[in-house]
Amino acid sequence: MAYVAARGGERAIAASEELHGRLSGPLSGELVRAIERQLPYLVDRVMGEGSLYAPELAALALAQTGGDLYEAVLLLRAYRSTQPRIAYAQPVRQGELRTVRRISAAFKDIPGGQILGPSLDYSHRLLKLGVLDGQNVELGMLNVELPSEQETSSADEHSAFNIQHSTLPAVADWQRAEGLLEPLPAGEPADPAGLPDVTREPISFPAPRAHRLQSLARADTGGVLALGYASMRGYGMSHPTVNELRLGYAELTLRHPVTGVAFSAGRVRVSQAEVVDTGAGKPGESPLRLGFTATIGWNEVKTIAGAMLDLEMSAPDPHPAHREEFVLYHTEPVESSGFCIHYKLPHYVTFGSALDNLRKAAGEGRREGETLPEATPSAGEAK
Amino acid sequence: MDQHTLLSTLARADSGAVKAFVEDLIPALEPITVRENRTGLAMLPMEETVRDEAFYLGEVLIAEARVRAGGAEGYAACMGRDLELALAIALLDAANAGGVELGRVEAFVEAQAAALAAEDEALGQQVERTRVELETF
Repeated sequence: MAYVAARGGERAIAASEELHGRLSGPLSGELVRAIERQLPYLVDRVMGEGSLYAPELAALALAQTGGDLYEAVLLLRAYRSTQPRIAYAQPVRQGELRTVRRISAAFKDIPGGQILGPSLDYSHRLLKLGVLDGQNVELGMLNVELPSEQETSSADEHSAFNIQHSTLPAVADWQRAEGLLEPLPAGEPADPAGLPDVTREPISFPAPRAHRLQSLARADTGGVLALGYASMRGYGMSHPTVNELRLGYAELTLRHPVTGVAFSAGRVRVSQAEVVDTGAGKPGESPLRLGFTATIGWNEVKTIAGAMLDLEMSAPDPHPAHREEFVLYHTEPVESSGFCIHYKLPHYVTFGSALDNLRKAAGEGRREGETLPEATPSAGEAK
Repeated sequence: MDQHTLLSTLARADSGAVKAFVEDLIPALEPITVRENRTGLAMLPMEETVRDEAFYLGEVLIAEARVRAGGAEGYAACMGRDLELALAIALLDAANAGGVELGRVEAFVEAQAAALAAEDEALGQQVERTRVELETF
């Protein structure tokens, strides 16, 4: 492989970057704050794929790149790499999330009940064109009279206090108590500082479960959806149902270095999905199998598709596109987008070399007087 | 006041109010030595539900500070990159540990905690309104 040093072009590059900024509009603190406040799901997606919970910086990355998601994720990952690792939080547990949305498509009467939370699932998909005409349009679409907050809290046995204080047990725990799932293996609690970490060690296959789930948590939403959708459409070996989908806030629990007292340094938006498949167990085993994915930020599509891929990857003989190595390598957003866009950079020597080979091959059978166009490998910076 | 409540409350409290409150307290805390004041990453693990194994969900940007003030050690960590806020909370942690202006510190933290609890309660009520009872036919 040959590389040729680049020369010249600095002014054109500077002008190109300036033009990008000009066409994207001015960058300001006000814009960044507006993005953080008004586009939380977009900010969440950048944070999830960037693997860094920092809403202000994710909003800045979006503003700075004109909304180019892959560039924004790259900016956030690059910033992340400049920061030292200074703490390990206590593990987040599903039942301790301050849950704002929790539904199951498998069981309607789950302990704690079903809570739609913030969702557009049942909304009419209609553009609110009145906004463009200056009308003040409420966010809610349905013309339904809602109960007052006082009525809600006094009338319902499940108070807001209960929602926020862990009365929403995991559906899987209930299934285990009912004998529908295999009991969890007994083991010591994991050391938060000693977990396998894909940012510090390469993945080898079969990957430790911690590597698989960390990779899915950082994965590209579109990539996970594409492979997950292939499974859903029939290329997969399983036909699961959403066992539990949950959005909530996790406490970032750290320990005081002097006294050892645990405290919360703030709250992180997290989402997780669990899917359940039936009929795949061996004789004598539970017939239900679970798949799981979670990510920082609220991103339902990624967690549902990721949980389905988790199931597929655990199957004995998955479709080639659902093997662990295939899924984890091809859904890494920075590596995949970076590899894709590198193709637009100069490849003059590579292409010129290919042309030379073509010319040589064609020359062997060429009639006299016929020629191929000359390649110009010296034209620029290339490999 | 218990350290968990103080640190957990102030990490989510209004940063402007915390900084303004600490500004008034500084003369009573001197001499002050700042031992650490930096941003960095906190790894956030999660326990999954299939095999009960833990994995890293991602990293969280935090600001942390470690001080000696009012004759005691103080420490704080909060999400984001607000080094001044981390420093201010660490000073309040030191004030609490060293018994400096305890009454004022407690009253301030309790007021902030009440405001946060009201926000939580309001959100909880809004969430509760979305509870759904499903029937099959």
